[in-house]
Amino acid sequence: MTKISVTGSKNQLETVITDLHDMGLMDIEEYNGEDLNTGEPFEEAEELSKTLVHLRSLLSKLPDVENSGKTKSLEKVQEQCAELEERVEEIEREKERLESSIDNTKEILKTLKNLKGIELDFEDLKGTETLETFIGKIDTEKLKKESSYKYFDIFEGKYASAIVYRPDEEFENLITSHTKDKINLPQLSHKGSIKSLIQDKKNDLEELKDKKSSEASKLDEISKKWKSGIESSERFLAEKVERAEAPLKFATTEKAFIVEGWVPSEKFEEVQEVLHESTEGKIHIEEEEGDNPPVEHDNPSIVQPFESLTDLMSVPKYNEIDPSIVILLTFPALFGFMIGDAGYGLTSFLVFLAGYKMVPAAQDIFKSLMWASFFTVLFGLAFGDAFGYVIFGDHHNALYALTGWNFLTEIPILFHRAEHLGQVLPVAAAFGVFHINLGYLIGFYNEFTNHGFVEAFLEKGSWVMLEVSAVVGYLYGAVLGVPLGLISVALLYKGEGIEGVVEIPSLVSNILSYLRIFGVAVAAVALAKVVNGLAAPLFEMGTMVGIIGGTAILIFGHTFNTFIKIMEGFLQGIRLHYVEMFGKFYEGGGKKYAPFGASSS
Amino acid sequence: MAIEGMAAIGAAAAVGIAAIATAYTQAKIGAAGVGALAEDDSLFGQVLVLTVIPETMVIFGLVVALIIAGFI
Repeated sequence: MTKISVTGSKNQLETVITDLHDMGLMDIEEYNGEDLNTGEPFEEAEELSKTLVHLRSLLSKLPDVENSGKTKSLEKVQEQCAELEERVEEIEREKERLESSIDNTKEILKTLKNLKGIELDFEDLKGTETLETFIGKIDTEKLKKESSYKYFDIFEGKYASAIVYRPDEEFENLITSHTKDKINLPQLSHKGSIKSLIQDKKNDLEELKDKKSSEASKLDEISKKWKSGIESSERFLAEKVERAEAPLKFATTEKAFIVEGWVPSEKFEEVQEVLHESTEGKIHIEEEEGDNPPVEHDNPSIVQPFESLTDLMSVPKYNEIDPSIVILLTFPALFGFMIGDAGYGLTSFLVFLAGYKMVPAAQDIFKSLMWASFFTVLFGLAFGDAFGYVIFGDHHNALYALTGWNFLTEIPILFHRAEHLGQVLPVAAAFGVFHINLGYLIGFYNEFTNHGFVEAFLEKGSWVMLEVSAVVGYLYGAVLGVPLGLISVALLYKGEGIEGVVEIPSLVSNILSYLRIFGVAVAAVALAKVVNGLAAPLFEMGTMVGIIGGTAILIFGHTFNTFIKIMEGFLQGIRLHYVEMFGKFYEGGGKKYAPFGASSS
Repeated sequence: MAIEGMAAIGAAAAVGIAAIATAYTQAKIGAAGVGALAEDDSLFGQVLVLTVIPETMVIFGLVVALIIAGFI
């Protein structure tokens, strides 16, 4: 990246902005000094942003529909915008009103349903001048037994009872003491039985729901006619606003302007040429010095999907190695080794493919995960495992038993993981040592390019030396190991200070952390076997029901397992990179290269 | 009780208690992390790293259990 400044008189401002926008190459640095003023946005900016706000609010209210009509011209959209907004708002208001009525009716229905079975008209429940009524969940048996009062009558329903009585305070207290829930009558007037009232309210509810859906379909219709037109106008205006507001990032005086920003070094001349040509040489372009340039990943296409995994952690700094390639080298293999099952490799691939098709925003991540699936299949074939069944070799070969294909028994199993899980442990630890040292190596290189050999050796080499001294101490005794270890600690202290020394135990815990590979592998094998074990007795029954039930268990169980394993493999695999490995070299915190105008091209 | 039985219980306790500790801390960190993400979703990487740090505890538990069980 090269930092440049463009200076010119104000009457060239618009030309320069249009050119920069069309090229989409310059990442403009906002001016926030105090000596000069920031520029004023172009006159039309305010008007445009106002329209844009209206369009966006309209868009947010319009539902998604298929086949959302033809694009409309901007003028037509602008013309209709206010009217459309009014109509949509009216519909929304009506919808809201209907919704609250629906809620209200539902609430009333809930209360009325409690009154079912009480053989009284609704109006009678309200009481009269001389008689009171009490409705609720009442323990009527007890009430009858305990009461000495005569002037009452009980009407029992399915869930609640109504008591009609001549007012009497003592009796009222007695009722209350035997009542679990008092029911308050809704404020309604209705001539007829409770049953007919419930039916009435049910009809009301249906009617309200119909009205609501007809309002919703009105919105759909507007959407069908206008949505895509509004969308394209929104994009067009957003671009225009971006251009019109660009001067806010510029520094200006009364007559002149200056703007600074970053362009890719190899494009510098192109930018210079285009600007000089369109302004007929009336501006001045200069290379500037600056720090903290924005970064853009620069990787061969095979590594590109893994950039998003790096950025998920943090965007790399300008002058450090982009670790995406490391993720490509070790993440899919790690995922594959942990899951290690050809069957789950295929099913997880299907899941990622579906994700790739359905979530366009996360396509890169799904692409990188498809690599992980590919390695899962590879390791699965090497382990001779598919859905927890043995598929190769002459030992318990389930696939051979099913198909009778002889060649399956002749394919050797490279490593029978399910039977030798114990051997996964040293493999996991060894991978940890390799992975962490790869991290130190990259850290060494970063330090070497930025601060020279001595610094690199003190900060990163001392760690490797510490590991070597531990190995030496183990092989040749403490006489050699301890002094070597002390030297490396001293170097480490010089390189990283006391923080480095405090961090020493974390080296052990980081390597131990790779034992999770073993843990996930055990779980991967066991989970598959559990599902097969559940299905096996059903298949052995030999009946139709048994076979159908067994198949159902297999399908459900292995689908469930697929998702569990994707989650485990991804999270554990990526964390070993982010925490254990990146911790050894990665700084991150860079700023992504976001050239002016590129988003709209 | 036979010594193997005691060892097995010890191994179970090593994994189990370490897992409870991990779960407890992870729950707290996770809850705070989700709060941070609601404010600014570019923090995802950092939040993920912070959330998974306590996992080391249960790995230690696993290692201790494997040693007790005579696996290593």
